[in-house]
Amino acid sequence: MASSMNGGRGRISGWLFEPVPLARVAAFRTLIYLFTAADLVIFTPWVRSHANVPGALYQPLFIGRVLPLPTPTPALVHTIFWALLALALAAATGRAPRALGWTVFLLYFEWMIIAMSYGKVDHDRFGLLVALAALPTVGRARHGDRTLSEAGGWALRVTQIAVICTYFLAAWAKLRFGGVGWVTSSVLARAIIRRGTDFADLIAHVPGLLIAAQLGIVAFELLSPLIFVLRGRWRYAAIGYFYSFHLFTIATITISFAPHLAAMTSFLPLERLRPIAWLRSGSLRFAAAAPGAQGRRDEVVGAPGAKAAP
Amino acid sequence: MNTLTPRGKAVRALVTVLGAAVLLAGTLWGRDDHFPFGPFRMYAMASGPDQPAPDTRLEGVDTTGAVVVLTERNSGIRRAELEGQQSRYAAEPARLAEVARAYADRNPGAPGLVEVRIVIRWYAIRDSRPTGHYRDETVVRWRAP
Repeated sequence: MASSMNGGRGRISGWLFEPVPLARVAAFRTLIYLFTAADLVIFTPWVRSHANVPGALYQPLFIGRVLPLPTPTPALVHTIFWALLALALAAATGRAPRALGWTVFLLYFEWMIIAMSYGKVDHDRFGLLVALAALPTVGRARHGDRTLSEAGGWALRVTQIAVICTYFLAAWAKLRFGGVGWVTSSVLARAIIRRGTDFADLIAHVPGLLIAAQLGIVAFELLSPLIFVLRGRWRYAAIGYFYSFHLFTIATITISFAPHLAAMTSFLPLERLRPIAWLRSGSLRFAAAAPGAQGRRDEVVGAPGAKAAP
Repeated sequence: MNTLTPRGKAVRALVTVLGAAVLLAGTLWGRDDHFPFGPFRMYAMASGPDQPAPDTRLEGVDTTGAVVVLTERNSGIRRAELEGQQSRYAAEPARLAEVARAYADRNPGAPGLVEVRIVIRWYAIRDSRPTGHYRDETVVRWRAP
């Protein structure tokens, strides 16, 4: 009995700390911090407009009341915005992963509290917040480094868990707030009226389609944890399905869930993406192919350890 | 391979279990107020198959008499934030004066607002599908004294 418990615990521990190449962590880190910078200016730009919203409309969240965090002023909002933008871009380089990582996490968390303290809370970024909290714990990770890391494995695993919790617990919330009647309710019709695209208006009138879609959403959310038992290309196919689901919600009700989509890349072998290495080798090839570059080409091909350009 | 020390693993496992427990408690008993551990209740409310859908907007009337639709861009307030605080505006319509102030701050060259109102457009729904019919209802109104 005791040995089977130990075996179970060992299996869970093995799963939670399943090592990944440091290159994957490095790529995920760069992607997440670049996304954080992009979130400030592209995906969630409205947070900044809270600078000019009178303090009387500030309705602090539980955490804002407990800590207690100050009522946002234009100076506070603009300072956090610029500091976060600069530090997130610096963190994307992979330098000072702990100092920059923790600072970015704390600033982004405060940024989100400012975002959600005016009467509306969004539910699209739990995975991103977990990624930002977990990444600094890994420490240094270089692009291209194939060394396996348990710390890196844990950081990616908890981000994955957070992403899947966002689906699975959303089904639970539907049961809690809407009851089983949610499946046959007019929730999607309502969403389409409020934020629907022309494409959504087109499909909204098909009898039974929105109810079928609601049934499909709950089934997908409840089954989402099965991603952890899938392996190899089946797992990637399932992740592809998750992304296509969000593509569909963008096309119909203009909800992007962008921070969640960024966090979901924790399931992908990101180390295979080497844009800078590709650019470098591409530019070398280009330089080699350019007329009059023969000498340079020889230099590149002849460099120790360099591979000859095809 | 870079392995973790037993202590490093134990701390991380504890943080994972605690985080999951708080998130689960938030889902079962929490509210949006408990962000980021509140329930993932996006689109979780069920409205009846024939229940009309509200489309809330904020409108102002400026000193020239023109009606201005107040958006996130010109007032800094999102529609969902307006709906989230609707009961507070209804209890105290003078709070809409803050909206007029936010608009003036963001649009210094524009004529000031002498009236701000929250209007709900109720869209009719039948069998969980929109019918295309609607009616407007002004739920809160503030006029400059």
